[in-house]
Amino acid sequence: MERLSDVREGKYRILEILKPGKLKKLSNLGIFIGDLIEVIKPGPGPIIIKKENITIGIGYGIAMDVIVERVE
Amino acid sequence: MEEKIIAIAGNPNTGKTTIFNSLTGSRQKVGNWPGVTVEKKEGYYIYKDIKFNVVDLPGTYTLTGESEDQKIAIDFLVENKVDVLLLIADASNLERSLSLLILLSELHKNIIVDLNMIDLAEKEGIDYDIEHLEKLFKVRFVKTIGNKNIGIDELKEEIYKRCKEKVSETFKFNYGADVENTISEIESEINKLNLNYPSRFLAIKILEKDEYYIEFLKDKINYEKITSKILNLEKTLKKPVDMLLMEKRYGIIHGIVREAIIERKKELKFELTEKIDKILTHNFLGPLIFLFIMFLIFNGVFLLGEPLKNFIDLLLEKLKEFLSNSSFSPHLISLLNQGIISGVGSVISFVPNIFLFFFFFSILEDTGYMARAAIVSDRIMHKLGLHGKSAIPLILGFGCNVPAIMGTRILENKRDKILTSLSIPFISCSARLPVYLLFTGIFFAKNQGLIIFSLYLLGIIVSFLAIKFFNSFVIKQESMPLIIELPPFRTPYWKSIFLESWIRTKYFLKKAGTLIFLGSLILWLLSYFPNPENYGSEYNFIGRIGKIISPLFKYSGFGFWQAGVALIFGIYAKELVVSTFGTLFGVENLNDTLKIYFNPISSYSFMIMSLLYMPCLATFLVLRKEIGGKWAIVSLFWTFFIGWFISTIFYQIFKVLIGG
Repeated sequence: MERLSDVREGKYRILEILKPGKLKKLSNLGIFIGDLIEVIKPGPGPIIIKKENITIGIGYGIAMDVIVERVE
Repeated sequence: MEEKIIAIAGNPNTGKTTIFNSLTGSRQKVGNWPGVTVEKKEGYYIYKDIKFNVVDLPGTYTLTGESEDQKIAIDFLVENKVDVLLLIADASNLERSLSLLILLSELHKNIIVDLNMIDLAEKEGIDYDIEHLEKLFKVRFVKTIGNKNIGIDELKEEIYKRCKEKVSETFKFNYGADVENTISEIESEINKLNLNYPSRFLAIKILEKDEYYIEFLKDKINYEKITSKILNLEKTLKKPVDMLLMEKRYGIIHGIVREAIIERKKELKFELTEKIDKILTHNFLGPLIFLFIMFLIFNGVFLLGEPLKNFIDLLLEKLKEFLSNSSFSPHLISLLNQGIISGVGSVISFVPNIFLFFFFFSILEDTGYMARAAIVSDRIMHKLGLHGKSAIPLILGFGCNVPAIMGTRILENKRDKILTSLSIPFISCSARLPVYLLFTGIFFAKNQGLIIFSLYLLGIIVSFLAIKFFNSFVIKQESMPLIIELPPFRTPYWKSIFLESWIRTKYFLKKAGTLIFLGSLILWLLSYFPNPENYGSEYNFIGRIGKIISPLFKYSGFGFWQAGVALIFGIYAKELVVSTFGTLFGVENLNDTLKIYFNPISSYSFMIMSLLYMPCLATFLVLRKEIGGKWAIVSLFWTFFIGWFISTIFYQIFKVLIGG
């Protein structure tokens, strides 16, 4: 388990989103707990993730509260 | 002729504006939604025997009363007799649009879904079973490629048909037995109130914990009873009900989309976009590319616009010559030549530059680069106490500070909005460009692009420092973090870009025709009276006003009354700085006269002052509306002090270093 803010490029599964406000913001864009995502641009700075054909830029502050696990 | 109202809704980046432009062409007007300063785009088209009035609703992913943009969309659908609701969906990314369709279907029943950018979906191997989708959602689906004008006639025909036919079947999303029971119970409470809003929509909003609608209904219904029902429901479902509703919608939609895709030749791959994104948003390369793009735009605006500007100048000169030789009274000739043509004309001659600026700016928007600019800026904005989204209104400020301040509505947090709004007046808008073009043309002809670029850079630096200052000493609060969708890179749709650039330039021209016309008229009266034979002299009213304020600028290098007058009129509208010089010195001798009054150092100092001092009247009024009168007045005095301070320091230092 790692924070999204600390991971390298690759595929990950979202395990937890720590704050309800942030969970709601990500859900509005179609990102949910359990989703498989691909990190295109890791931190420092904003992280760019891709879920299927949606690409989203996430600020470092939010990425710190997203817990993920690497998927091979 | 029969008239119908069409409302266009959709997620951002689905090509909503392109479809709006394709339907209405140039028959559109830009204004504000009543009581707020969110931009409202309206237009019309005539098809067969009906005039269709089209309203472009703000782009949104969801419908919540907590966001002003979204509340506008909700209220418009509730309060107006909308005949057809047109939902623009990105065909290559249908799930999110269908989630909005479910929300919208609680508000309106006659919906057409426009599967836009169907070519991109087809490229990815996606094709939809339209019949299946129509059967499930009980709405019509139409395929379009907005940027190629493909499918627009079919869309018009479908809208026409939907206006003529009566909707027989309507769609209702099923959230599952437990949730539906609670919705019905809340609905029965709301039904007693006889409100305009559909009761089911409000019941869902309460379950979604939408603070705005909870506040709206709390005192009108038995809210305690409803809260206990929601708690019971959450206990049964073991999940917060707001998250459950969202998951339910996406879960079912995911299944529907899978069923509706009849062809998937290959896996979705955006390798090129990914590769470009890696470079454009790179921590080191990204900011460099961003600066380079800005540099190219400013040089392009100057190099391409110059010949056209010279041509307009020539036409204005001919017109003045014609009027001078006419038999009109000398007073009228003076009013037309020295007042109107010198004032309004000197600004109109910059229209090609302004058009080019908006043209390049629209390309950045259309290609999808603007969202990348927000990502690139997030690191630096975060250090200042904001997030990258604030960079978007700041970038918009390069066009005009007024829509930029309106654009701060995309920021969810009031603090972010105030900080960003206070820093926008330092961003060099297109109205300042005529000032730079005039002075750099005279004093820095060989390095015009570089000097103008340095002024834009200075505006950015001062704006950042302003954010840091207010964040550190005045409004200390945590910023909202960034979440932004990055649309795939797209080839710009040139017709739409030309149209957008023209509409924005038209706004500038309208300003030139009203505000600047009035300003030029007042200026002429002050310059002409009480001694018409000494036009624009220190013996007339204008000179007397200028003499009172000019000592203030003595140490900035432009302590003469004409500069003072130009700056006063610049508060009215920044374009008037140039036209004031035009009126006071005369357009034909303007360059030679300015060479007498200014040198390169004092001209640069004057450009710094023009860049930084006081927002123009329109910007001030928008600031007052958006962040309140107190902050607008703070901005007025604070920007003047900053402009005066930096221009004076610059002049004094360079006078010693180079000699002025």
